[in-house]
Amino acid sequence: MLLRIEIMEKGEGLISRVFRNRRVRIGFFVLPATAYLFVFLILPMISILIFSFWRTERYVLIPDWNVHNYVTIFTQWAYIKFLLKSITMASFVSAICLLYGYPVAYFVAKEGGRYRLILLILTAAPFFTGTLLRITAMQHILGPIGLLNMFLANIGLAPIQVLMYTNLSSSIGFVYLWIPFMILAIYLSLLNFDFELLEVAKIYGAKPFRAFWEITWPLNWVGTVVGLVMVFIPTLADNATPLFLGGMFGKLYGNILFNQFGESGTWAMGSAMGVVLFLVCFAVIAAFGQTINLKRMGYFGG
Amino acid sequence: MRTRAVRGLIWQEIMLVLLYVFLYFPIFYIIYLSCARNSVWPFPPDFTLDWYRRLWIMSDFHVGLGNSILISAGTAVIAMILSMMGAWGLMKYRFRYKGFFISVYLLPMFIAHILIGVSTLMFNRNVLHIQANIYSAIVANATYGISFGFLIILAQLIRYNWQLDEVAAVFGAKPWRSFVEVTLPNIWPALFGAFLVSFILAFNNFDVSFYNLGATPTLPTVTWGTLRHGIEPELYALSSLIIAFVLLTLGVLYFLIRFGWVRIGIPEK
Repeated sequence: MLLRIEIMEKGEGLISRVFRNRRVRIGFFVLPATAYLFVFLILPMISILIFSFWRTERYVLIPDWNVHNYVTIFTQWAYIKFLLKSITMASFVSAICLLYGYPVAYFVAKEGGRYRLILLILTAAPFFTGTLLRITAMQHILGPIGLLNMFLANIGLAPIQVLMYTNLSSSIGFVYLWIPFMILAIYLSLLNFDFELLEVAKIYGAKPFRAFWEITWPLNWVGTVVGLVMVFIPTLADNATPLFLGGMFGKLYGNILFNQFGESGTWAMGSAMGVVLFLVCFAVIAAFGQTINLKRMGYFGG
Repeated sequence: MRTRAVRGLIWQEIMLVLLYVFLYFPIFYIIYLSCARNSVWPFPPDFTLDWYRRLWIMSDFHVGLGNSILISAGTAVIAMILSMMGAWGLMKYRFRYKGFFISVYLLPMFIAHILIGVSTLMFNRNVLHIQANIYSAIVANATYGISFGFLIILAQLIRYNWQLDEVAAVFGAKPWRSFVEVTLPNIWPALFGAFLVSFILAFNNFDVSFYNLGATPTLPTVTWGTLRHGIEPELYALSSLIIAFVLLTLGVLYFLIRFGWVRIGIPEK
């Protein structure tokens, strides 16, 4: 330690003398990204919060403070309906992703052995081809001129009505889009999980289900929560999936939000809808965050 | 008891295989369509490369591709540098408020992309009074790029041997030199990973870019415009090229990691 200081003192300029200060060094590393996100993410979010209390007239925002936008969102059935529909859809999709993703992630983490990496990359790879591309790909399977219905038509059967521009086909699309997130989150959690604990439980006479419910599930709850949130949020906000798979009657909150900034140009209303969307996401994260006890799950100190 | 456990495993294997079918069938069907003359009912197969040829001469896709690459590269550079510095500072030093910084870095992951898009649009338009352009799209895309980059670099730095830095300092290396000669050779896979992931995510991004670009086309926004007027088979060709690029890149990465040429993230036990 002494040696190091002596060497560093030789011929140092102003910059390196300032850099000897620990706080300056820490700040140099951690502040740029923080400042960046503050200016380019948090400030814009605050700006839409402010605009949500203004009003729009002929595509122009007017600083005329009022809560009319929020009153509209929470009293007009058209808005409440789409919000509730989106929340229901996002909850349903998250649940399906969890139910299907957990056993898969568990299998890859526990039994994958030397194939773990390739199995994981194979589940994550489709995600990187882009959501728009994947949704159109799904449309070619489920849509009215998709593979499924054309096949049925060719062998002389009626098309499956429930898969043509319905909420069900939207939800299949959502699961298709986001299940890699769920698997990845649970897998990463299970990677640090000591499977020996289950052997111990078995020796003490616990049935497999009880061992899972009392050991694996609570100890990997963080992964489950991250997975649920990572599926819930994009599903709640999405507008492409309901457009291409849901059709006319499958519109969700995201579509209405999208229109405020597009054709109708009602910026203030759109901002208010964005704030509501953020608050719903925040409430979900907070509710799940409450259930996480990092100490008990062995992350800190243990 | 034993047979029951084995049966459970078989079920899990079936679930995994079904998942892969579910994930890959639509993607490969698009590739199949891109080579089929009749795209509504392409059976029996009648292969052609016409759509690729048509795509080759369609100018709006070329402009879109150029813009997409520019945006992704800009995003990836910003995300890589900022997330590297953040992860480095958090892992190297012990200080209070670490939780705060981690929350800020991960915040973009928990904000829906459409919200990032519309809020930056509103901010640029009504507060900064600047027209949406390629640079505002880069700046907005880099926000979530930082989150992904941070996680990837963090995964590598957890394994980093900090004594290497001490050694370099003891032998008189200036911090910058020690970074280039000692740190970089050890962690470049994570940096590259952060770059690549931000690049690919920004390349395919629609929600954020759409609001930040105005009339400037990127591949996803051109695709969006095309889709609204009904599907054109050239789109299959374009999609197939993107799929091939992504799968090839990940495949190469897999072999690099598998044969130990690069190490990234959590070690295989």
